[in-house]
Amino acid sequence: MINLFQFIPEIFILSLILITLCFGLFNKDRAISLNTLGFILLSILLLNYGKDFYSSTQMSLNTINLFVLSKIILSIGSVVFILLLKRPLKNENLYRYEYVLFLLFAILGSFVLISSNNFLTAFIGLELQSLSLYLMAAFNTKNLSSNEAGIKYFSLGALSSGFLLFGISMIYYDTGSFNIQNLDNFTAISEIGLSLVLISLFFKVSAAPFHIWTPDVYEGSPTISTLFFATLPKFASLIFLFRVYQELNISDIKSLNYIFQMVCAISLLVGVYGAITQKVIKRLLAFSSINHIGFMLLGIMSYQFMSEGTLFFYLIIYLITTFGIFAVLLNLRTVDGEFIKISQLNGLRFTSNSKSISMLVFFFSLAGIPPFAGFFAKFFILSASINDGFILLSIIAVLSSVIAAFYYLTIIKNMFFNKSEIELLDDNNKTGKVIFISSGLIITLYFIYPDPLINLVDNLFK
Amino acid sequence: MSFPILSLLILTPIIGALTLSLSSSTQLKNKTIFLSGLWITTGEFFLSLLLPIFYDKSKNGYQFIEFHTWFDKFDINYYVGVDGVSIPLILLTTFLVPICLLCSINSIQNRAKEFVIYFLLLESFIIGVFVSIDLVIFYVFFEAVLIPMFLIIGIWGGENRLYATFKFFLYTLAGSVLMLLAIIYIISRVKSGNIELISDFTFDQQIELVLFLCFFASFAVKVPMFPFHTWLPDAHVQAPTSGSVILAGVLLKLGAYGFIRLSLPFFEYASIYFQPMIFALSCVAIVYTSIVALRQLDMKKMIAYSSVAHMGFVTIGIFTLTQDGVNGAYFQMISHGIVSAALFLIVGVVYERHHTRMISDYSGVTNVMPKYSFFFMVFMLSSVGLPGTSGFVGEFLVIMSTISVSVYLTFFTAIGVILGASYMLLLYKNINFGDLKSDIKQLADLTNIEIFYFSCLAFLTMLLGIYPKLLFEMINKSISLSII
Repeated sequence: MINLFQFIPEIFILSLILITLCFGLFNKDRAISLNTLGFILLSILLLNYGKDFYSSTQMSLNTINLFVLSKIILSIGSVVFILLLKRPLKNENLYRYEYVLFLLFAILGSFVLISSNNFLTAFIGLELQSLSLYLMAAFNTKNLSSNEAGIKYFSLGALSSGFLLFGISMIYYDTGSFNIQNLDNFTAISEIGLSLVLISLFFKVSAAPFHIWTPDVYEGSPTISTLFFATLPKFASLIFLFRVYQELNISDIKSLNYIFQMVCAISLLVGVYGAITQKVIKRLLAFSSINHIGFMLLGIMSYQFMSEGTLFFYLIIYLITTFGIFAVLLNLRTVDGEFIKISQLNGLRFTSNSKSISMLVFFFSLAGIPPFAGFFAKFFILSASINDGFILLSIIAVLSSVIAAFYYLTIIKNMFFNKSEIELLDDNNKTGKVIFISSGLIITLYFIYPDPLINLVDNLFK
Repeated sequence: MSFPILSLLILTPIIGALTLSLSSSTQLKNKTIFLSGLWITTGEFFLSLLLPIFYDKSKNGYQFIEFHTWFDKFDINYYVGVDGVSIPLILLTTFLVPICLLCSINSIQNRAKEFVIYFLLLESFIIGVFVSIDLVIFYVFFEAVLIPMFLIIGIWGGENRLYATFKFFLYTLAGSVLMLLAIIYIISRVKSGNIELISDFTFDQQIELVLFLCFFASFAVKVPMFPFHTWLPDAHVQAPTSGSVILAGVLLKLGAYGFIRLSLPFFEYASIYFQPMIFALSCVAIVYTSIVALRQLDMKKMIAYSSVAHMGFVTIGIFTLTQDGVNGAYFQMISHGIVSAALFLIVGVVYERHHTRMISDYSGVTNVMPKYSFFFMVFMLSSVGLPGTSGFVGEFLVIMSTISVSVYLTFFTAIGVILGASYMLLLYKNINFGDLKSDIKQLADLTNIEIFYFSCLAFLTMLLGIYPKLLFEMINKSISLSII
């Protein structure tokens, strides 16, 4: 008999979806606020009873902790995202409750993906997530570039799903099982199959050289959707990638390990190389995210050193920073609409104290300059990787972060040193302001008292 | 002593900066802001005076130690303490920052509040570097210094400030990240970031060489040593006067301090192995940059190149690995901190009045600004190394200690002294003597504030020159520990 107890988080989201579907027809404001409440409830539920949900399964404690922690992060992230999305959507005349539905489906897909022990379930989760993302990219139907982004994302995403399915079927042909855990006796065929699965996952997390969609989709989509692409689904796919790496012991398979290291190095380099010349801020952030994916892959590869803690720590800090940056960007508009170019940030220092200083903190943190939290995140990843003997990759990583510092500094230069050319409208969105100020404070003050975050990550892995 | 004086030294400027940033900027006048900044930094200076008073010179090791667990899991701790090597540099910092604020009251008109805030942050980060005895916290402060400095040069600098500030930031960062990797490796081997524990640990020789080079990359850029020095003239020329003062006065010392504090005790074998390379680079720095300085048209650039040459003495002295050599190098550091800061202030005075730094635009200044010429002469002579001024002691000790290594080294070092005398005297002659140019007739002589801080600096140079024991008493013991 199937124990439904372990599906409580997924069932919870599913019921949220149904309620939103019915309720949203009549009152979309209420329906959306209901979701905020729902996700807060879900995170509390997971925080207190998360481990009990999975206690009846035969999974190891570590895996259970991984599920619980990543689901908590996803639901807290969703709360923040739902709080943010109202104003930007209204500004673009896109304020419809379907948007929240897509979000819910994507989160449901992410949940399924994270906790799937079976390649087919993982495929379903991934597709559920991706289909919602395509729709979110194309949500601004009247805007050509948004449509273009949606179609690009869809066609490339479909291709990668094809790779995934093909890979899964090759593994099935070889081993006769879809299970992720009981997969040994590798032959060349399942190695090829696994490499196809990896490629598809690399595509989802936009690791180079499978990153081509990222800048275009980031640029074309409505900014609020870009924020979503950059954070939660990527987080979920990365966790799944981590699980695949860990449970299949990819570090022991020479060929796949080689692929992993190559992708890591290429992501680190392509990320910084692509970002240097960008003029459009969302494209720059896309390339910078590719660089950070490189760091995360390094964290995945060297997880043995300090357990999953380092990777999670990096991910949490990265999520907080990204939310903060986008909260600032969403709060700013030009007269013509959403603002696009980096040069439009000129002179932000003179118009808004809180925004410019928060942005300064975020970009220095992304560049890994102490005392901001981003430095410690990178520090731990590098500690882990040096301990595991990835010396060359670590050198590439730190050198890439020096180059990355250049374009982060360029943004800071525009905000702090240049005079403003065009007038930026301040949206004065209170929730947005609260979000970027609080994430700025977390990033800045983290170093004074680092224990809570480390302990949170740590305790869940004990 | 249980009184947490070091944490207080780090925190006072930060708290001051926070209070300033929370006060609304529209109501405050520039002068009030600068005055409050001055109060904070002067208080900080007097607070730091407690260090030499209560420091027990007869004891080995660190004093005023504070220990708090920071990252429990990784054995990275907030572990601070001072010894004879760090105290003079802390004093130099707390002494120079009020002067920086004092000299910019008139020249910094826009965004004064930010300026004071960045300087306060800078001060606490620099003090943090000097007091930390844990590698990670050392690195954190070492890097954090870049942020306020980047903003100070970028916002209040000259026409070409963006280029200069980016170059400064990226050069230093590129050096530092290699040190970061080395630090991580060391911590993973020793299982602790504690500097004392690491000093006792011996690495494999091959690995030690690589680690040394990683640290060298960071410190050589900071010092700066010969092939990595190109950011310095740009940064100095573009920085506002106060930025140049703190850059030449303290920031350059961070690199040399790192050599004495970290490289020598950690890597004894590598320090001997790389001795010839460092001597060669330093000799090139001394001779080459002195010749370059001779031909400069811009006063600030000239003094910037002279800084590179003087820091060449420091690196030579440190890597003679003798007590005299390191003592001399350390003395030269402090002396250069005072003198070059004063020289940049000297340039700042005429720049503020005449808005040009070209040497050819000045002539016969002594006719209209006699007091100015007097102070200029004091610092110029100290920079040249006249006996009786602080510049002499350091250079003399360094040159003396080089004899034990090689006579050729002594030869090149001594050439540097001669060249130094020639470009400084040339600079002094061109500016102060000659016919009075018509457009500088109306230049006003030094104001009381300027006289005040120049006399403080001049007093210090003379004091150290006449009674160098004051400093040697403090540093002797700590230095003898770090070179063994």
